[in-house]
Amino acid sequence: MTPLLQVDQLTKRYGEYTATDTVSFELEEHTSTALIGPNGAGKTTTLSMLAGLVSPTGGTIQFQGDAKQDIRSIIGFLPQYPKFFPWLSALEFTEMAARLSGVATKRATVEAKKTLEFVGLGDAMNKKTGTFSGGMKQRLGLAQAIVHKPKLLLLDEPVSALDPVGRRQVMDLLKELQQQTTILYSTHILNDAEEMTDQLLFLRQGKLVEHGSLDEVRSRYAEPRIVIEFERLEDLQRFTAIAAWQMIEKGLTVSIDVRTEGTEMLEVLSMLSAGAFTVRKVERQTASLEEIFMKVAVV
Amino acid sequence: MAGFGVLLRKEWREHIRNFKILWIPLVFIILGVLEPITNHFLPEIMKSVGNMPEGMDFPWPEFRGEDIFASLLGQYQFIGVLIIVLAFMGTISGERKNGTATLLYVRPMSFPAYFLSKWLVVNALVLGSACLGFMAAWYYIEILFNSVDAGSVFAFIATYSLWLIFVVTVVLALSAWLPTGGAAGVAIMITLVYQIIDALIGAYWMVSPWKLATYATYWFQVDTSMSNLWMSASVTGVVIILLMLFGIFMSKHKAAKTTV
Repeated sequence: MTPLLQVDQLTKRYGEYTATDTVSFELEEHTSTALIGPNGAGKTTTLSMLAGLVSPTGGTIQFQGDAKQDIRSIIGFLPQYPKFFPWLSALEFTEMAARLSGVATKRATVEAKKTLEFVGLGDAMNKKTGTFSGGMKQRLGLAQAIVHKPKLLLLDEPVSALDPVGRRQVMDLLKELQQQTTILYSTHILNDAEEMTDQLLFLRQGKLVEHGSLDEVRSRYAEPRIVIEFERLEDLQRFTAIAAWQMIEKGLTVSIDVRTEGTEMLEVLSMLSAGAFTVRKVERQTASLEEIFMKVAVV
Repeated sequence: MAGFGVLLRKEWREHIRNFKILWIPLVFIILGVLEPITNHFLPEIMKSVGNMPEGMDFPWPEFRGEDIFASLLGQYQFIGVLIIVLAFMGTISGERKNGTATLLYVRPMSFPAYFLSKWLVVNALVLGSACLGFMAAWYYIEILFNSVDAGSVFAFIATYSLWLIFVVTVVLALSAWLPTGGAAGVAIMITLVYQIIDALIGAYWMVSPWKLATYATYWFQVDTSMSNLWMSASVTGVVIILLMLFGIFMSKHKAAKTTV
């Protein structure tokens, strides 16, 4: 099966400044992909090019199926700070969005109502958007992006501006949408990426520096280690004197690098019990996404 | 023309809900009412508040109703045109600047439909307002001055409307091209400042959109050659079409300027 979207060597230059530099990736249908990178890495530019707002300087974007089709008819786009006409109500705006995307008049009204209920704006659908709070605007933004049932949903920082409660709710909505459509979203909140992602794309200064599934990326940067926290400093010193591994000491903890999936854990545990060390905690750790992010995305 | 109907409805709603549908007609109606009334009562006002020496007789010109229409045009040409520029300078550039255009541009709407929907609604509003103003003036002219030939009035309004369409098209095309401030500046240069230039050195040419206002008053005169009017009207029509094409092109070309 051909992927829904193939992006090849996508480049955007503004004069001397290169916003994205030969970025290539594919999106499979019904997957969700997180575009990760620090501010200014080219996330928004990439999404804008896919949405047809900005024309690329070089490279190609190819959607599955008819090449002549207006790609804007099969995408839904949510900007980071969606702006609405303050004099339209949420329902009027969503209706207009649906109709502009080719939904017939009567169905547009039905779909708009259904979608607003889905995002939790059922009670506010007849209020003017000028009176909406940040969280309501974000939901309305999501509603206008999905009302025409797009094949590809492009979301620019969908939850970054929300408080924890709003974030939780929008994440749950996105997880539900994941069943029905393909999602590409940018974020710098790594917990969110960890929660809902089939593929990770790391951007740094316009370049795609790392990509793969969450597990692939994790294992590439995993650096598994065993961390032991002792009760007393004497125990720690006694342990480091007899243990033969490469160790990093820090306060009452010792961190042992484990390069391979091996028997180190068992050896550590038997050593600890044999020597009657008093330990608070023994833990096997791998790099968190945040540590990977710092390594990959920050130079 | 995908989305034309929907966009037309959106524009219409916008002008209703931001009250442009109310205050722009009001401005033109006030101008239209004041012109005949002040001209009619000016001699008496001067007599009661002015310090004219006893026995001095100031020869007020005898205005005809037709002259009042012409002097009303002077108000329209300055205040009316300025209001058109200021009220509609941000029609496209403002939408881009505040980011509301983004959610339109990512949908499969056509840019000709986008530009034309705005063009139609703004023209309807401006022409409607100007007409209401002319009608108000006509009413007081009939009461306070003489009766004016209806055919001439309609021809006069039609000719002047072409100039107003020209002004609206200039403003919208510039708004599609430049940021709001720049669009306003250039629009004022083209519609207001150039009027003065055309009046000062315009004796050397006869065919120009800026002369339409003058030619419109020819309808009230007898035995005046209308050939310059027809030529100017045709040229204006062509320029309007070219400006619309330019505006459509710029709407699409500058779409990436929208705030994401």
